[in-house]
Amino acid sequence: MKSPCRVREHLSRRAFLKASLSVGGAAVANWGGLFNSTSIAAEAKKQGMRCILLWMNGGASQIDTFDMKPGRPTGGPFRPISTNVTGTQVCEYLPKLAQQTDKLAIIRSMVTSEPDHPGGITSMHIGYRPEVTIAHPELGAVIAKYHGKPDADLPTFIRMGPTGNGGAGFLGPEYQPFSIGRDGRLPQFSDPYASAESEQRRGDLLRVIEDGFTQENKADPFGAHRLAKEKAWKLLKSKGIFDVTKDWPKAKERYGDSDFGRGCFLARKLVEAGVPFVEVGHDNYDSHADNFVCHKANMNQLDPAWSTLLLDLQERGLLEKTLVVWMGEVGRTPYINNRAGRDHYIRAWSIVLAGGGVKGGLTYGETDIDGKTVKDKPVTEGDLFATIYSALGISPRTKHMVGTRPITVAPERSVAVTDILS
Amino acid sequence: MFSLRHLLLLSAASLGLFLPASVRADEKPFRQTIDQEIRAAWQRENVKPAPRSSDAEFLRRIYLDLVGNIPTYEETQQFLQDADEHKRAKLIDRLLDDPRFARQQAAYWDLTIFGRSPPGGEVTRRRDVFQKWLEDKFAKNEPYDVWVKEILNAEGSTAEVGPAMFYAQFRNQPEEAAMAVSRLFLGTQLQCARCHDHPFDKWQQLDFYGMAGFFARLVFVESGNANQRVMLVGEKRTGEVMFSGPVTEQVPGKKGTPVKAKFLGGTPLDEPAIPAGFKDFEIKGAKAIPKPDFSRKEKLAEWVVAPENPYFAKAVANRVWAQYMGRGLVHLVDNLSDKNPPSHPELFDLLSQELKAKKYDLKWLVRELVNSETYQLSGRGESTDAAPRWFERARVRPLTAEEIMASLRQATLHDLTVKPGDKTPNVGSEYFMRYFGEPLNGRGDFQASLNEHLFLNNSTNLRQMIQAKKGNLADMLATSKEPVEERVERLFLTALNRQPRAVEKERFAAHLNTAGQKPEVLVEEAIWALLNSAEFRFNH
Repeated sequence: MKSPCRVREHLSRRAFLKASLSVGGAAVANWGGLFNSTSIAAEAKKQGMRCILLWMNGGASQIDTFDMKPGRPTGGPFRPISTNVTGTQVCEYLPKLAQQTDKLAIIRSMVTSEPDHPGGITSMHIGYRPEVTIAHPELGAVIAKYHGKPDADLPTFIRMGPTGNGGAGFLGPEYQPFSIGRDGRLPQFSDPYASAESEQRRGDLLRVIEDGFTQENKADPFGAHRLAKEKAWKLLKSKGIFDVTKDWPKAKERYGDSDFGRGCFLARKLVEAGVPFVEVGHDNYDSHADNFVCHKANMNQLDPAWSTLLLDLQERGLLEKTLVVWMGEVGRTPYINNRAGRDHYIRAWSIVLAGGGVKGGLTYGETDIDGKTVKDKPVTEGDLFATIYSALGISPRTKHMVGTRPITVAPERSVAVTDILS
Repeated sequence: MFSLRHLLLLSAASLGLFLPASVRADEKPFRQTIDQEIRAAWQRENVKPAPRSSDAEFLRRIYLDLVGNIPTYEETQQFLQDADEHKRAKLIDRLLDDPRFARQQAAYWDLTIFGRSPPGGEVTRRRDVFQKWLEDKFAKNEPYDVWVKEILNAEGSTAEVGPAMFYAQFRNQPEEAAMAVSRLFLGTQLQCARCHDHPFDKWQQLDFYGMAGFFARLVFVESGNANQRVMLVGEKRTGEVMFSGPVTEQVPGKKGTPVKAKFLGGTPLDEPAIPAGFKDFEIKGAKAIPKPDFSRKEKLAEWVVAPENPYFAKAVANRVWAQYMGRGLVHLVDNLSDKNPPSHPELFDLLSQELKAKKYDLKWLVRELVNSETYQLSGRGESTDAAPRWFERARVRPLTAEEIMASLRQATLHDLTVKPGDKTPNVGSEYFMRYFGEPLNGRGDFQASLNEHLFLNNSTNLRQMIQAKKGNLADMLATSKEPVEERVERLFLTALNRQPRAVEKERFAAHLNTAGQKPEVLVEEAIWALLNSAEFRFNH
């Protein structure tokens, strides 16, 4: 059968072709939609979209950031300040971001299902509740698939700091995350001892062996092994981009001198270079005690990094192609516990979108006067992912066959928040 | 269901495909039954099998599977040149008697039981005593049911009693123990029934908590020093698991009611009442834990290994089959369920019956499996599955971290650089564990890791083995006066246990003759290439 695939798509399709089997309750992957007859990227309604996920590990407090309740028992000591959007206020420790609020779509009505860290980290990366039998891919893997260039030298799903735990799931090894340090440093053993010529010679020899072996040995794991080796070589070719030591002294004045700031700066460089998905982790918001000390310190790093990222993207004309997502795995309780802490809370919390595919300068949904319940327009994690995918031109109903089950990228019953889509 | 199955059995028998085990056992080795059944399925499914493996394919495969290492250059040459038509069976017998066989089996079961990061923290991190105990069981070829019973009955200190390590994983977690025992020794998945009645399977929440009841009375006392934490395992006479209904109906403060211990799919445990006014001993600070006058875990151990247990023989037969054939006759390997039937029902029944009849002699089973034509098929063929469903081609499995380390040392002759009497050097086992320790995802598929390749490309850990050093392969090849073609042959026979193909011989010879480069540099590059190949990475 003839197909309009690019050569590379074709190769990987063959390499990862798997029988469709449903075994007991457990569905076996066939590496998802690699069977599709049209080229993958063409399935997305928009081309070349990117996404940066700013991951607030541990779960940031909505009441101390974007859904403030001044004067209420749940309000805490922080004061709200005005922003460049009339009527929208944010925390006093986000002054720079207050000047970029016209770029933000603030959702104040998140209602999610996983109250604890591991489950929350999974579900807020995959858009589904965790399931034993189906390995849903993370946001980054889906975006890598639909907006990544298959022949790119750089990885298409890059993660700074160890946060998400779902990986590529049933999308298969091609879309596995490439994890680097929280400060953007490459993993151990990224510095070659071999000279370029030596690397070339031994690589050529390896290809001789692989070519002979592949002729007769067709099993998938061999292909996965070779793919990973090719990726390692490609990475070495392009690793210069990860080295920000030269630009950082100047950039840190604007991004703030923190690992997170450096991560945001590198994320900007990576999306500029065409990487479709970058996650930057920010630790640690899990403030069961001393919530306000913790959040003040975190916001001091968050504010310059995030606001500068948005400005830089805008200056480079990248903001309309790049969706910046700010979220963590849970929100935090409205009530303040006896250690001045706030615990996990999933019944009314906030996340923020900006840039590609979404309108700026608006808030969506509302909580009650104390921030305990959502008064209006609840948004589940599934709805959020449907929104994110829609913003990026990927239909939330895009299906992958997992065994004999068609699985949509966002849950079946989820609904995109069209009010904030641009 | 039963009558249909019965009919199938009858028709299969009338076609002469197989005979009842009692008749057949005396007539022919079980390996022939395996091949007959597998062939019958090929015909039925219209599947074309791969050819028989080449001697070189078989040689490397059987060494890795039985002793966890590749053969030496000399062993390779000797086997490939041997004209004896029974040389495969003879090699199998020799390797089954090799002390490394027991070590390899112990490593396999240790990994099966504990995984790479077992619960239990520092206590279960180092398991030398357990591993030695298990190795000894395999060295003596003690029946499987005997040592499993010992595990389930274990008590005492993990520093002294090997099997005590098993329960040390499950301190104060009877539910976890119930899931592990059901999965490991009964091939049954109970985890869904923990929170709600199983949606697909027959298990209900009370089956789950009934099993957990057997472990509710285990008690643990931790001691030891910073170097090695030790757990003392024992059992009390009192204590119950509490059950409070489906997880969706839970509200704060809901306590639940005690559940009687109940055998999985069987009857509740018949146990004597606790005497009135009985007071259990105080475990806090206990140096030893007295045996209770009635032990639940003892009853469980008896039931698990009893001949009438419906799961035990099937579970182990399926697991050992999968160990060598790449996938279980029931797949996934520990998911025996009416909803998940075996691919070869007759063979599956015969296999577990025969293993039981042979009194759980695992060495017998291994010998039959690896002598079968099915096991000895080539890895070549069109199927892209790592382990094809109809076993029409040899399976492909990634080497374990331990196998990779051992094979790299063997392939590079690294250990010849160590002076006699010196301690065996650590080649970086912590890195090997990190990058090669868990090559499969939760569904048993190989997951290729970029970090693995960064390590292989750039680490001094591999480099120290492939750089010329007096006595090792690189040194031998760099200083050899042999013609270059012979050196290439030696390289391939040592690292990949086969002759080079014509094109490989030509290209590698040309490489070693590259003008203007030092021989030791060229040799290092050549060895690196072989060790980075998919052919080296997998057992196929």
